[in-house]
Amino acid sequence: MKYNSKLWMNLRNILVTILIIVVCFILCIAVEKWLNTYVPIPAIFTLGVFLISLITRGFIFGIVASSISVLALNYAFTFPYFKFNFTIPENLVSAVVMLIVTMVSSALITKVRKAEEVRAESEKEKLRANLLRAVSHDLRTPLTTIYGSGAGIADNYDSLDKEEIVELAQGIKEDAQWLINMVENLLSVTKINGQGVALKKTPIVLEELIDTVLVKFKSLNSNINVEVDIPEDFVIIPMDPVLIGQVLMNILENAVRHGEDLTYINIKVRTLGDRAIFEISNDGREIPREIIDHVFTGYYEKKNKPVDSKEGMGIGLSVCHSIIKAHDGDITVENIKPRGCCFRFWLGLEANDNEC
Amino acid sequence: MSAKYKILIVEDEKNIRNLVKTILKANGYQVFDATNGSTGMIMYNSHCPDLIILDLGLPDIDGVQFIREIRQVSQTPIIVLSARHKESDKVSALDLGANDYVTKPFGMEELLARVRATLRNTLIKESGGDFKGVKFTVDNLTLDYDKRRVMIDGGEIHLTQTEYNIVEYLSIHSGRVLTYADIVKKIWGFSDSGSIKKLQVNMANIRKKLNEKPGENRYITNELGVGYRMNSDDK
Repeated sequence: MKYNSKLWMNLRNILVTILIIVVCFILCIAVEKWLNTYVPIPAIFTLGVFLISLITRGFIFGIVASSISVLALNYAFTFPYFKFNFTIPENLVSAVVMLIVTMVSSALITKVRKAEEVRAESEKEKLRANLLRAVSHDLRTPLTTIYGSGAGIADNYDSLDKEEIVELAQGIKEDAQWLINMVENLLSVTKINGQGVALKKTPIVLEELIDTVLVKFKSLNSNINVEVDIPEDFVIIPMDPVLIGQVLMNILENAVRHGEDLTYINIKVRTLGDRAIFEISNDGREIPREIIDHVFTGYYEKKNKPVDSKEGMGIGLSVCHSIIKAHDGDITVENIKPRGCCFRFWLGLEANDNEC
Repeated sequence: MSAKYKILIVEDEKNIRNLVKTILKANGYQVFDATNGSTGMIMYNSHCPDLIILDLGLPDIDGVQFIREIRQVSQTPIIVLSARHKESDKVSALDLGANDYVTKPFGMEELLARVRATLRNTLIKESGGDFKGVKFTVDNLTLDYDKRRVMIDGGEIHLTQTEYNIVEYLSIHSGRVLTYADIVKKIWGFSDSGSIKKLQVNMANIRKKLNEKPGENRYITNELGVGYRMNSDDK
C-alpha cells in the first residue's frame, strides 16, 4: 500500500513535469509564430521550471526540467533554429544563467518545504515528549499509593481495623481509576501517531455516542448533572467511536477536576452544513488567561509549579486536540459569562447520504 | 437452585484469575481455573462447567480458536474478557458463538451481572425456548409475546412490526449483547451495506417511543460499534 502510493506519487510527478514542459513548448511556438519574437521565451521556460519545482516533490524533477528546458531553448528557439549549438557565446550564457536560476529556485522551494515538514514533525515530537514526561512524572504518584496501600493491607491485615482497610482500598481504587484514564489516553495517542495510518472511521449514531459516554461518566461521577441538547433528527457522524468518546470523557473529567463550584455541565450538539458542532460548557472555574492558549498544546510551562497528577493539566486536553485533528476537525475553548468555560469542536458529517 | 453452578475460568494472568475466582466463590459459584487453552480444554472435558469465562489473549492458543473448538462440541455459554480498542475482536468472538464480553479493565459488579444474565438465559433456552403465555419484564416495561404488545406502566406503546420484532429479539436474549450483524440477519433475513443503518434508524425510533434519554437508558443499552443489549432485572 505504501509502496503503491510512492509509485503513484512518482508517476504523478513525471506526468506533471512532462505536461508543463509541453505546455511551455507550445506556448513558445505560439509566441514565436503570432508575436514573432523570441524575447519572452526564456522567461516562459523559467516560469515552467519554477512551477514544476513547486508542484513536484524533491529536487530531481526541477533539475531534469531545467536541463530539458535549456536543451529545448537551445534546440528550437535560438539561432541556428532546430539544431543544437553551444558554440555561440550568447546561447551558452543564456543556457547557463537559466540553469542556475532554475536550480536555485527549485532548491529554495525544496528547502522551504523541508522546513515545513520539520515543523510538523516537531509538533508531533512535542506531544510525544509531553506524554513521556506525563508518564514518568504522573504515574509515580498513583503507583506509590497503589503499591503502598496494597502492601499495607497484605502485610498488616490483622493489625488494621476494618475502616482503615476500607480507606486504603478506596485509595487503591481511585488511583487505579486515574491510571486507567491515563493508559486509555496513551493508547489513543499511539493509535493516531502511527505514521500514515488513516483512522478507521465508522458511521456512529450521535445519540448512541452521547449515551455511551454519559453512562460511563455517570458511573464515575454520579453526583454531577449533565444536560444534553442534541438534534431530534437522526444524526450519523463518521468517526472512531472509542477516540471521540475519549475526547468527550476528557472534557467532562476536566470540568469536574477543575470546577469546585460546578453545578451543571451542558452538552450541546448541532449540525451546520456538513459539520457537527459539539459544545461542552459548564459553570465551574474559569481557565486562567495565562494558560488558556496552552491547554491543547501540552503542559503550561511554569517551573515552580510541579506537574501534579491531580492538580496539573495532565495530558487529557492535548490528547483531545490530537484526536480531533486526526479527524480533520478543530477544537477551541473559551471562558463564558457569568462563569465557567465552553469547549467547542467540530467533526465532518457523512456526505451525500440522506436516505435511510 | 440448590446445586451450585460450575464456572471455568481460562486466564493466564494470575492476579486477574485469583480475583475473579475469589469474587465468584464469594457469590456462591463453584470455580475451576486454567492458565492456558489446552489445560482449559482438559478442565472443560473433566468438569463439564455451566459457564466459561475466557480471556482472549492466551499464551498457547488464540481465544477465538478456543471458542470455535468448544462450539464444535457444545453450547456451554462463554463470556469473553477482552481489551479495549479491539471492537473487531469482540464482534468476531460474539459471531463465533461467545455469549457476551466484558472489557478490561472491568469491575467485578459488571462481571457478576453478566454471569447471572448469561446463566439465566441458558436456563430459559433449556426450558424449551417456548414463549407462549410468557411475558418479559424489565424495569416498568413489559412485553407480551402472545399478543405482540409492549407496555410501559401498563400503557401500550405502539411499535411498527419491525420495531416490535427487534425489541422482542433483544428481550429474548436480555442481558446479552447482540451484534448488529446478528440482529439484522434475524430481522431482515439478509444483510447489505445499508442494513446496519436501517437497524440504527429503527433503534432511534424505538428509543424515542420508549422515551429513553441519553445516559439514562432504562431498557436498551448501546454497545457502541458492536450492537445492542436489552437490560435485565436480575439483582
